[in-house]
Amino acid sequence: MSHGKIALFGCNNLGLGAAGRLNSRQHRFFLVDNDEARVKTAVDRGFDAILADYRDDEVLRSIGIGEDVDTIFCFFPEDSENVFLTISARALAPKLRIVSVVESPEAADKLRAAGADKIIDPYEVSGRKIYEIIKRPIIVDILDQTVYGRHDLKMAEVEIPEGCCLDQRRLSELQWKERYNLILLGVVNRERGKDLRFVTGGVDYKLSAGDVLVVLGPPQEIGAFKQEICVH
Amino acid sequence: MLGRLAIFLAYQLEGSKAFKRWKRIFHNLVENPRSRMRPYFDLFMMVLVTLSVFLYIYEVKHGIDTFGRYFELFAVSLFVCEYLVRLWLCDDSHKTIIEHYEKTEFLDLRFRLWPALRQILLCKWRYATTPFAIIDLLAILPAYQSLPILRVFILLRLFKLLRYAHSINEFIRVLSEKRFELYTLAFFLGFVTFASSTAMYVFEGEVNGGQIKDFSDAVYWSFVTLFTVGYGDITPQTPEGRGITFLLVVSGVGLVAFLTSLLITAFAEKMDELRESRVYAEVEKLKDVILVCGYGRMGQVVVKKLLEDKVHFVIIDRDRERVALAKKRGFLVIMGDASSNEILVKLGIRDRVTTVLSLTGDDVHNVYITLTAHHLNPKLNIISRANKPESARKLEQAGADHVIQPFEIVGLTVAEYVGQPVAFEAVYGMASGDRHFRIEAVLVREGSILDEAQISEIRFEKKRLILFGIIGAAHESRNGLSGYSLRSRFFYFNPAGDFRLHANDILVVFGHEYSINHFKETADKGRLKLSRKTA
Repeated sequence: MSHGKIALFGCNNLGLGAAGRLNSRQHRFFLVDNDEARVKTAVDRGFDAILADYRDDEVLRSIGIGEDVDTIFCFFPEDSENVFLTISARALAPKLRIVSVVESPEAADKLRAAGADKIIDPYEVSGRKIYEIIKRPIIVDILDQTVYGRHDLKMAEVEIPEGCCLDQRRLSELQWKERYNLILLGVVNRERGKDLRFVTGGVDYKLSAGDVLVVLGPPQEIGAFKQEICVH
Repeated sequence: MLGRLAIFLAYQLEGSKAFKRWKRIFHNLVENPRSRMRPYFDLFMMVLVTLSVFLYIYEVKHGIDTFGRYFELFAVSLFVCEYLVRLWLCDDSHKTIIEHYEKTEFLDLRFRLWPALRQILLCKWRYATTPFAIIDLLAILPAYQSLPILRVFILLRLFKLLRYAHSINEFIRVLSEKRFELYTLAFFLGFVTFASSTAMYVFEGEVNGGQIKDFSDAVYWSFVTLFTVGYGDITPQTPEGRGITFLLVVSGVGLVAFLTSLLITAFAEKMDELRESRVYAEVEKLKDVILVCGYGRMGQVVVKKLLEDKVHFVIIDRDRERVALAKKRGFLVIMGDASSNEILVKLGIRDRVTTVLSLTGDDVHNVYITLTAHHLNPKLNIISRANKPESARKLEQAGADHVIQPFEIVGLTVAEYVGQPVAFEAVYGMASGDRHFRIEAVLVREGSILDEAQISEIRFEKKRLILFGIIGAAHESRNGLSGYSLRSRFFYFNPAGDFRLHANDILVVFGHEYSINHFKETADKGRLKLSRKTA
């Protein structure tokens, strides 16, 4: 979906873990760190890594921030480093998507004030996951095995293009179940905002061009579905 | 002949279910600290003891009336019963006889009753001489009204209260650990008292114009002076007597100071331990406990969630500050090493604990905790945190059922975010159970309305649910369907309308929590309406 480059700051476990996941998904990305040894480990693992000092605006500009980089991830271990990077990058590129991890919960607000779009709290996410394992082990198993990519179930967003056969059709007319081995989870109406509406409610929704369908299913089915509604 | 009768009776008792049941009931009533009846029994006895002492105080002025006599009779007979029951419960006499008999059979000797009887009596005697048993006996003695002096023993019944108040045991334990110091002090006290009493008796006797008539007066005066009370009913009259008084007062002040500091340090040292033993006692009452090892950031997130769910949990941490934090929040917390066998066993890892979360920031420690817990109880559900990617495999080898890798989870969320921001939010929301929409598993019970139903009959869309799939065992009706293997079963994604459910299948549905709860409820109670096409 994104066509710009992605920059991951911090060649530590978090950065390398994220890079490992991105690799398989065909994105253009590179890692950045100011420590030579850490850059070397990243290069040894086969990633594209740059030795650069994030504190210098000139350096940031030279690696493409404000130009072809459209998303950055701040994976530094210190919250202060992440805040500094967020502020510098935001000043250089107002439209940049900035995602940062946060170490202590108080820093989340500071990062948001500094201009980060999305905050990921690794402890919070992991803690919730542990709770889920205790509470609903079966569901976690299924999500792990399927959606999170070890088996071949994928979640995908499909945008309805202009002049598509689905345009101006109601959901009930689609006979979804009979035609595709896909589960339609929800719809995002671009006109009404970015919120995802789950299609469990009894509302018979009318689709229009520009809406995004969130579907779950095997990748080949998703591909076939895209073909059918002429998304290229 | 008598021996044969004893053996016969012993085997009769061994085989009798009623006997065992009664013994268990009484054990639960008076001894088992974890039984439900025990606290009520303790409370009742405490009230009885207090009332009987109050009655005694009343009697001093008003004399005894009929009600008082009956009440006393009731209390004493209950005390006697309790004493006998405890004596009965302290061991299994019939087993001793059987044991002796079998030993003699094995050695081909003649069975003689006397050695077995002696062992039984010895065992009972050993119980009867324990402090608590003596207190029990003293509480009964005042019933002999003919000896008025025994009536004073009624006050000893107050000691019986100690028996039912459990914290007193800890108090005694703390004191007994300072035994050496207390003995030294008692020896010093005895020496000083004896020396000063003798000196006073010699110098302050009536012959010398003093007030001391006999030796007991001298001892009484020494005590009163030594403990800095000094009533002044007996005062030294001679210069020698005054000299002794100086020495005695000085050593008395020192003695009191020493005793006070001794007690204070003893309790200060044991304060943490006392508090912890309370935690252990508290945990002992619980069932299905989750052990949270490590109260760092991740531990705190999990605990917060567990708290919302009202699940029982105990925290173990090595760090003093984190323990203090958990204590402040009112949780059950033990300061110590979670890989210590002793702590784990005391917390009931073998029976009370169901899940162990090993969440410390140190992988070496996590592996060790996992290994220890798994070794002590292989049936535990162990969830462990791997801080480095290499540790995940080691944790699995050590016996962890699930390994949490924070960096991997972050990697996943990042990848989802970059790929499909909206879908990411959906997955993130579902996985964390936020926004009231969630995935839930619904079990098909045997004989329930869902058993043998077809998917198309359930009409999920009417119930505002989305069916993701079915988890179930392979079945002949499912031949030809492709499922994702999931541990020992299969996950059938998005099954067709003619898919038939069987007992013990699990439906994986997605929807608002209200819809899910409603669906579960109606399915369980058999009120779910199916739309059968041919019926």
